[in-house]
Amino acid sequence: MQVGFYFDQTRCTGCNACQVTCKDANDIPAGPENWLRLGYQEEGQTPDLLVAYLFSPCWQCVSPVCADACPAGAISKRADNGIVVVDRAACLGRETCGEKCLKACPYGAPQFGPQPDAKMAKCNFCLPLWEKGGKPACVEACPTRALDAGPLAEMQARYGQASQAMGFKYSQRTQPAVVFKPKTPTR
Amino acid sequence: MGDEKVRVVRATSAFDCGGRCPLRLHVKGNRIVRVEGDDADESKDLQLRTCLRCRAYRQYIHHPERLTEPQKRVGPKGAGEFAPISWDQALDTLAGQLKRAKEKYGPESILLMTGAGYLGSLYMAALAGQRLMNQFGGYTTHYGNISSEGAVWASLTQYGSVMVGNSREDLMNSKLVIIWGWDPARMISGTNTMYHLIRAKENGSRMISVEPRYTDTAAVLADQWIPINPGTDPAMMVAMAYVMISEDLHDCGFLDKYTVGFARFADYVMGKEDGIAKTPGWAEAICGVPADTITALAREYAGSKPAALMDCQGPARSQMGEQYNRCAMTLCAMTGNVGKPGGSAGGGLMGIPIAHMFRMPGIPPGKNPAEQGGPRIAGTLDIRDRVTKRIHINKLWDAILEGRAGGYPADIKIAWSMGNNYLNQTGNANKGAKALASLEFFCVNELFMTAQARYADLLLPVTSAAERSDFTRPWPSGPYFCFSNRAIEPVGECKSDLEICGHLAERLGLPEFNPFTEEGILRTFWEKSPDLSEHIKDFEEFKRKGVHRVKLAKPIVAFQKQIADPENHPFDTPSGKIEIYSQRVADMNKPDCPPIPKYLPVSEGVEDPLKEQYPLQLLTPHPKNRVHSEMYKVEWLREVDPHRVWIHPEDASARAIADGDMVHVFNGRGRLAITAWVTQRIKPGVVSIFEGAWYQPDANGVDQGACANTLTRDEYSGGGAAVLNTSLVQIAKA
Repeated sequence: MQVGFYFDQTRCTGCNACQVTCKDANDIPAGPENWLRLGYQEEGQTPDLLVAYLFSPCWQCVSPVCADACPAGAISKRADNGIVVVDRAACLGRETCGEKCLKACPYGAPQFGPQPDAKMAKCNFCLPLWEKGGKPACVEACPTRALDAGPLAEMQARYGQASQAMGFKYSQRTQPAVVFKPKTPTR
Repeated sequence: MGDEKVRVVRATSAFDCGGRCPLRLHVKGNRIVRVEGDDADESKDLQLRTCLRCRAYRQYIHHPERLTEPQKRVGPKGAGEFAPISWDQALDTLAGQLKRAKEKYGPESILLMTGAGYLGSLYMAALAGQRLMNQFGGYTTHYGNISSEGAVWASLTQYGSVMVGNSREDLMNSKLVIIWGWDPARMISGTNTMYHLIRAKENGSRMISVEPRYTDTAAVLADQWIPINPGTDPAMMVAMAYVMISEDLHDCGFLDKYTVGFARFADYVMGKEDGIAKTPGWAEAICGVPADTITALAREYAGSKPAALMDCQGPARSQMGEQYNRCAMTLCAMTGNVGKPGGSAGGGLMGIPIAHMFRMPGIPPGKNPAEQGGPRIAGTLDIRDRVTKRIHINKLWDAILEGRAGGYPADIKIAWSMGNNYLNQTGNANKGAKALASLEFFCVNELFMTAQARYADLLLPVTSAAERSDFTRPWPSGPYFCFSNRAIEPVGECKSDLEICGHLAERLGLPEFNPFTEEGILRTFWEKSPDLSEHIKDFEEFKRKGVHRVKLAKPIVAFQKQIADPENHPFDTPSGKIEIYSQRVADMNKPDCPPIPKYLPVSEGVEDPLKEQYPLQLLTPHPKNRVHSEMYKVEWLREVDPHRVWIHPEDASARAIADGDMVHVFNGRGRLAITAWVTQRIKPGVVSIFEGAWYQPDANGVDQGACANTLTRDEYSGGGAAVLNTSLVQIAKA
């Protein structure tokens, strides 16, 4: 089974509740380590504008190129749910390794704290919650219900197959596990 | 320690926020370790989902900069240099100062600054302080609220009521929603309001945003954005009325049956009163909206039934701001949308009667001996009566600096503040700093070393809402009631304002002050408060669940009864009708309060010649990542939305300002340093700084904290609106 996210870009107000929740749920201090990021696009000219936000976690890719790039074998993909996990004890550290995972990832998912030679950390789909039958904390935090998560096949059955959104490019190479309702530049 | 069990406590925050959201606080020892939201089953009840602010609640409660012990000033006033003292020393000092001022200068020399820093029934700073000081012999305090005074005055004038909102589910019935100066994606005007709007849009409602900024609300909802100059909303609305009257699009039957004074308003609109026809072309020159756009919106609004014109409170925080809400309400009547499902009454307050903040029970404050003998103020629309014995909230600084000689009710010698940060949150912070530094003594009850706390002589550390149990509710109602259970014991030596007042009462010889216990008084509130006891039958169950939802058979629509059955349900106005012309206002004979809604030019408005020197209009909207100035220190919130001034590329390039540059924004009142955000999302000629960042003047007087109120005016409009969105500024690279 492969898990995946659903993101309704038309509902996202860019409020950052998902990001703050991610930090609370995973006990991450303010600073450079952001398991969840929010992309921003602004197009057009006053008064004909299009503004879109992009929810950006780790997409738990079907082919995680970060795992291939890791010289220490610290990144692996779980067979039971497809969640890409990091063995932080095995990670060589940011400077020692040279951020090979981050350089490989087209989505900037691998993250490092501020300390020297920080070990990589990233969104793990809130694995502990998932294993207890829950969803990632960000999903239930969204005030406008723009997020969902579950088995990718279920997300596709419920929400369709759209794999593009403003500010997002689907990588055939890594196959991110996501379904979108994209915002469309109509004007 | 590691083995300590995690308890889950059902609570809410008590910030001065328009939402109120059930939280599940995970507590380990005396520490909140995680915040979860409402866990209602969404297939039965919509979850009351909290926003980013309370997602970061634990970082606020346990912030390393929380004040945890009483402190006295040891450096110059305003320098923020303090040394810890004991509670006994602190309370003796404050009691001594209160007695000294009362004996030497009279009780009115004591300024009590209350506020909305925590909105609970029991732990409401204003009520505890007022009760104590009333029993002590009196004090001087302030009148009005910074947020909504314009909208309150306008709604009372036009409808005789402040309950002008429909429940949010009713938006699903609207064919057209005009979002006029309203940004619920950031300013939570009722939990889930933005979600209801999104559902209405997905249901097919067309949505139009009229506002100087392309807000996040507009970005998600608006089919059309109409950028408008700040403070000119009445001009555009009056021109829309011109189009409707000219093209006979208005609902004459509705106006005849339910309103008074429309003919006089029409005379003004059509130019019969002053010789100026308020055409879209006339309005274009003022508000910067093309005449064709105004005409099209007027036709669309008149032709889409039902349609909800959603005005709010921000544009009313302007000179003549009351006219924005009055014009909006008048358009709602002209289109026959008042009292109808899918329509709106306007008025900007958006509240419904069940579980409304204004109906929250509280401890009885009693009467202020220093206010005896003043004019009768209950229900008055004449602000002059309200400031005979009190100080307008946006005039605190002049009142302190000028006293009776300046026409204020007292010569203020000492002040005591609880639940507010007015230095930061009312107009003209530089003047405020001078005023606070001039006091003989200033005591501040606070959780943090705020901009205002720095000017204290004595600091008393206060508990947060997580450290006490209370009833809480959102500003405009849900409709639901919340109970916030105490999650942790007080941090450090913190005490609630009520406890602090209780200890002072002992020192001041006032045994009557606090006969309450927390448990007992909360139960009494439940028993005695009509809306609580009507809806909540089992108090213990309510406490356990932390929230009680009121099930509505159908959405509440303001004034539905008055419209369906006007014979038996008159409006609460002297005429019993919607007063487009108000005789009460006419009788006041004040030029800044016209009896019919009007556009009038104002100082530091778009037509002021001062624009040659300060060409940009400044907006100071609500931030999304703090509640006004509360939560300012919370790092999880600071990092997601850096404090920046919005500026249009045209205005930026004319000043060689690039995105990310450090700039100075300034006018005759002050100068602040801030990063520029160059964006198409703001009308040329307008700049915007979110309110609430803490004022922090450097040695040269430049506010490095970039508090918006360093630039705003300490004035109020005819109906009492604080004019925090009527300021002209200039910008230059730092």
